Amino acid sequence: MWGITPAGDRALLVTVGTIIDPALFGEVLALDRALQGRQPSGLLGTVPAYASLLCHFDPAVTGAGRLEETIRQLEGTVEAAIPSGDVVDVATRYDGPDLPHVALKTNLTPAGVVERHAGQDYLVYCVGFAPGFTYCGALPEEIAVPRLVSPRLRVPAGSVGIAGRQTGIYGVESPGGWNLIGRTLLRLFDPAADPPARFKPGDRLRFVPIP
Amino acid sequence: MIDVIDGGRWTTIQDRGRPGLERFGIPPGGAADWFAASVANELVGNEPDAALLECTATGPTLRFDVDAVAAITGGHVASIADWQAVRVARGSSLAIGTIAPGLRTYIAVRGGINVPLVLGSRSLCRLGSFGGGFGRPLAAGDRLRIGQTVGHQPLIEPWPISHRLPLQGPWEVHVIAGPQIDAFAGDALDRLAATACRVTPAIDRMGLRLETPGLRLQAQEILTVPVTSGAIQVTPSGGLIVLHVDHQTSGGYPVIATVISADLPLLAQARPGDTVRFRVVDSTDAARAWRRVSGWLDLDR
Repeated sequence: MWGITPAGDRALLVTVGTIIDPALFGEVLALDRALQGRQPSGLLGTVPAYASLLCHFDPAVTGAGRLEETIRQLEGTVEAAIPSGDVVDVATRYDGPDLPHVALKTNLTPAGVVERHAGQDYLVYCVGFAPGFTYCGALPEEIAVPRLVSPRLRVPAGSVGIAGRQTGIYGVESPGGWNLIGRTLLRLFDPAADPPARFKPGDRLRFVPIP
Repeated sequence: MIDVIDGGRWTTIQDRGRPGLERFGIPPGGAADWFAASVANELVGNEPDAALLECTATGPTLRFDVDAVAAITGGHVASIADWQAVRVARGSSLAIGTIAPGLRTYIAVRGGINVPLVLGSRSLCRLGSFGGGFGRPLAAGDRLRIGQTVGHQPLIEPWPISHRLPLQGPWEVHVIAGPQIDAFAGDALDRLAATACRVTPAIDRMGLRLETPGLRLQAQEILTVPVTSGAIQVTPSGGLIVLHVDHQTSGGYPVIATVISADLPLLAQARPGDTVRFRVVDSTDAARAWRRVSGWLDLDR
């Protein structure tokens, strides 16, 4: 059963699960699409993540109770499918400062880490944290390493990082605690573009090593 | 035009922000003390979405090359009559100086600060380095254009003291139970509410770190979820991070409670060392508090 809980006095958080799983994520996207189709009065916008959807509402128009009712009606009726699209190539130079450390921790050579990271397609689960930051999964278990103990204050835009079973790309320069293994020149965030972020939840991408 | 002679500690152009773009990782932004900012615009007769200046700790020095009408609200400054519309003569300077009590002061100019809209707002998004005219806080040498759009005549009377929010602690901040309340022990929220929390020096528009003397909340990392302004995250060390208007749009720390919208301005004025006590309310109380404070803006003029 979906968990529907208040996130403050003008938002509800719908939680469909607690793990990274394409099926749960498909449910999130399906709920998101269903709400966009139905447009319940007072719903201002939604924010998807791995297994949850935040629903902002205008308390002058609707209430948490009424919106929850609308969402409950959708439970079990939405078609949990992730739209299939092209796989976008992300040209990546694997020269990140944490690559040697990741190799050491995983008993691989740096080339072995790169081979595994670049050797598969990824699903974009969400864009969040900072402008354009793109969360992807699932990273092969073999190269899953914990986040850095102390985050860096500045990570350059385009940095490719890994943490747990996730890999991500920094959209703008920001603080960050992921292990940096490479960098792409692909611009992930542009406030003048529509939409401003290069990727959206449900997109697919692969990392292509470049010298 | 307005010439920036000195940018002050951290002065930014803000309006009501750009809510609705969180799915691109963009924080809602906007004035941290939405109430003081709204009053400043109201005093000078601006539309509610006019852009103004948000000053932090030490305000800027500005020189006006036109006659203007301005209003200063929020954190107190000794340099000028605040909470009322004032005339600023052409050629004169406005030196805001030190802000206390309170932390953030707003300067509205009749007509608004006219910088380009980026993604629907004039607010600075610091993390994305866009908006706010310059993509950064104001610095000496910047020139600000005054807009032409106004809503009504400036108010003649000072803003009544009865219709202002407190500017100094100890702060009583109302919260409703958070979306991950089940990740905590059953009595965690009661224990938090019984604790005099202390504001640390780590405070900015993204969030405020608070200490909880005598209380060590146990929290595990959770799967990354979308978060809101006012969310009180519990970090693995047991400390609190209260997210504010420029918050990260998703996070992996469980949220024990969320500050109600009406009380977010209080956290915009809190200073390091201040005491914060959280009081748990329900959504009906939150709605009532919102009507009370936002109702003050509908003063009969």
